[in-house]
Amino acid sequence: MKSSRWIFISLALLAGIGLGLAYGWVMDPVDFFDLTPDTLRADYKSDYVLMVAEAYHVERDPDLAARQLAIFGTQTPSTIASSGLAYARANGFSDSDIALMQELVTAMQAWSRIQ
Amino acid sequence: MRRIPWWRLGAMLALLAGLGLGLVYSWIISPARVTDSEPLALRTDFKDHYRSAIAAAYAATGNLPRAEARLSLLADADPIEALNAQAQRMLASGQSFEQADQVAALASALGEGITVEFTSTPVTETTNSIVSTSTLLPDPSEIPPEITETAQPVETQATISASTPRPTQTAVPTLGAPFALTGQETVCDRNLPDGLLQVIVFDSRRRQLAGAKIIITWDGGEEEFFTGLKPELGNGYADFIMDPNTAYTVQLGAGSDIASGLTTSTCQTSDGETFFGGTKLTFQQP
Repeated sequence: MKSSRWIFISLALLAGIGLGLAYGWVMDPVDFFDLTPDTLRADYKSDYVLMVAEAYHVERDPDLAARQLAIFGTQTPSTIASSGLAYARANGFSDSDIALMQELVTAMQAWSRIQ
Repeated sequence: MRRIPWWRLGAMLALLAGLGLGLVYSWIISPARVTDSEPLALRTDFKDHYRSAIAAAYAATGNLPRAEARLSLLADADPIEALNAQAQRMLASGQSFEQADQVAALASALGEGITVEFTSTPVTETTNSIVSTSTLLPDPSEIPPEITETAQPVETQATISASTPRPTQTAVPTLGAPFALTGQETVCDRNLPDGLLQVIVFDSRRRQLAGAKIIITWDGGEEEFFTGLKPELGNGYADFIMDPNTAYTVQLGAGSDIASGLTTSTCQTSDGETFFGGTKLTFQQP
């Protein structure tokens, strides 16, 4: 038996694995449900931060705002708010929305210092 | 008939086996990490957080189109029902009444297409000279949003008029206007306790009103109770068990029409069994 034939079979196996991985990771990846908020796309995260900022502007409750931001996981509320603000600035959010988010960032930074 | 060489057959089988191995690895063993998910894929409890945030933002800004756009991201079959159900869950689990009320208020506003009226107080700054107006409804998939911006020179200071006005919420009247008795019906339901008097109170926006005091009087007695103590049945719901031999009069503590002469009624099941039915009263603020 020629070794070149075994090489051909091995290459076919590797090609199959490669095609399978490409299909499973890129072309038709697994649909996930029951996800956590840290997996949200950046624009959705930023809009969530904006929601919290809108509510904070009226309620003035930093504890509540921090709890609402904490759903994103291990990052601090001020970091989460800052990330949202950075995205908003880079993606053309209105001045008023950016002002609200800036206010929230400032509040979360102050809140973090007193915790 | 010509036979296929064994090594070609082997190569085809190897290709298929490799494809299977690759799919098993990429779908089961190590699926692609999720980093760009949408709100509709969130776990149920996080969807509740998301709705609460939307409701809180709506309560602060009164921007109903923006709230609707955000709710659409969750792809609820019936957003109003989802909000109402969540409000009930929040109350039943002892969460903040204010937050639950915000969720219920958003459901109510969606049902009626109400945009809360706000008056904006312009923010004055000394360092900026831009008057900016925006029509942004933040559908994050459409960022950057459409912004109309007009530069306006100002002598010493400028005014920023924001797209999301800083709200001074116009008070919704909750006192003064008496409640009207809009419904009174006999209820014959064998599944309910005998002589059950049900009272449901709505505010002027058809939202069930929690904490409304109800005064019930009868010959020789009086009792007060409140709506909202059984949130699983509605924020504006309250009930009382009537004695079969007593006539009752009901009115709301805040002032309302008076429902008098309320008694149990005799009801009959399909198999001839009799039982005491109840009464259901509905009050609404005009």
